[in-house]
Amino acid sequence: MKHSVNRPPTPDGAEDQGNEPILQEIINIKLIESGEKERLMEMLRERLIECGWKDEMKALCRAYVKKKGRNNVTVDDLVHLITPKGRASVPDSVKAELLQRIRSFLTSAAL
Amino acid sequence: MSGPNEDNNTQLSSHIFGDLLDSIIVDVASECHRIAKLGLDRNLEEEEEEMRLSAQARARVADPSNSSETNTKYVVDIFGQTHPSVATEIFECMNCGRSIAAGRFAPHLEKCMGKGRKARLKVTRSSTAAQNRYSRGSPVSTYSPYSNSTSTNRLSNGTPSVAGEEYSNGTYEEPWNKT
Repeated sequence: MKHSVNRPPTPDGAEDQGNEPILQEIINIKLIESGEKERLMEMLRERLIECGWKDEMKALCRAYVKKKGRNNVTVDDLVHLITPKGRASVPDSVKAELLQRIRSFLTSAAL
Repeated sequence: MSGPNEDNNTQLSSHIFGDLLDSIIVDVASECHRIAKLGLDRNLEEEEEEMRLSAQARARVADPSNSSETNTKYVVDIFGQTHPSVATEIFECMNCGRSIAAGRFAPHLEKCMGKGRKARLKVTRSSTAAQNRYSRGSPVSTYSPYSNSTSTNRLSNGTPSVAGEEYSNGTYEEPWNKT
């Protein structure tokens, strides 16, 4: 018997979630087309630099590079290194500001 | 009051925020990676090591005691090669056909081609065809040194024809006079 026979079926997602991916795509497109995504990115970047978040991440990277040696480091390594800490260490105020902005965009985009 | 739309909106917002944050994280990682690979970061340990090595090298070069200790002939260049002060490549002199070291070639040519007195002896002794051609063909050749040398050795060579020509050109150059 092939192993794959016993594999659980691929989750299609529940009914009520069926619309979400499509909705998300639509919103994404709207974000990009209106230029709002770019603006949000720049704003987030700026806030994260101001609060020192970027420096913290760079310090983490540098320590990792120092440990592993410059030539043994890949971008992937660094991404995996930073992602959990990065997500957790965004200041609440920054997060709140961005979320607020996004939400107002969503409502104004007539959803 | 939070209806389903509100929840959706909140969820969406968080999702979108997460996307933005991920993009920024990748950017930061990429930037750090670039800095690491290009060595642009003042990484303390590495830089210290490199500074120390370069300081050592500089000290060795600038150190005067070095050159007095070691033979200056054997100064090492940046590739670690040493060159003897006299070039040692050997090749054949096109004038007399002898094997000459490159570093001794200029003085050899002086003697060989006629600056000095003894050069004329060499030339007359030589039997290269080119020489004979030159000495016959060009009356004002710079090395027709068959001029009034008081050395009697000339007479003892075996090319009387050459000697004969010398008297026929009254306008040969006497390069040794011009020095």
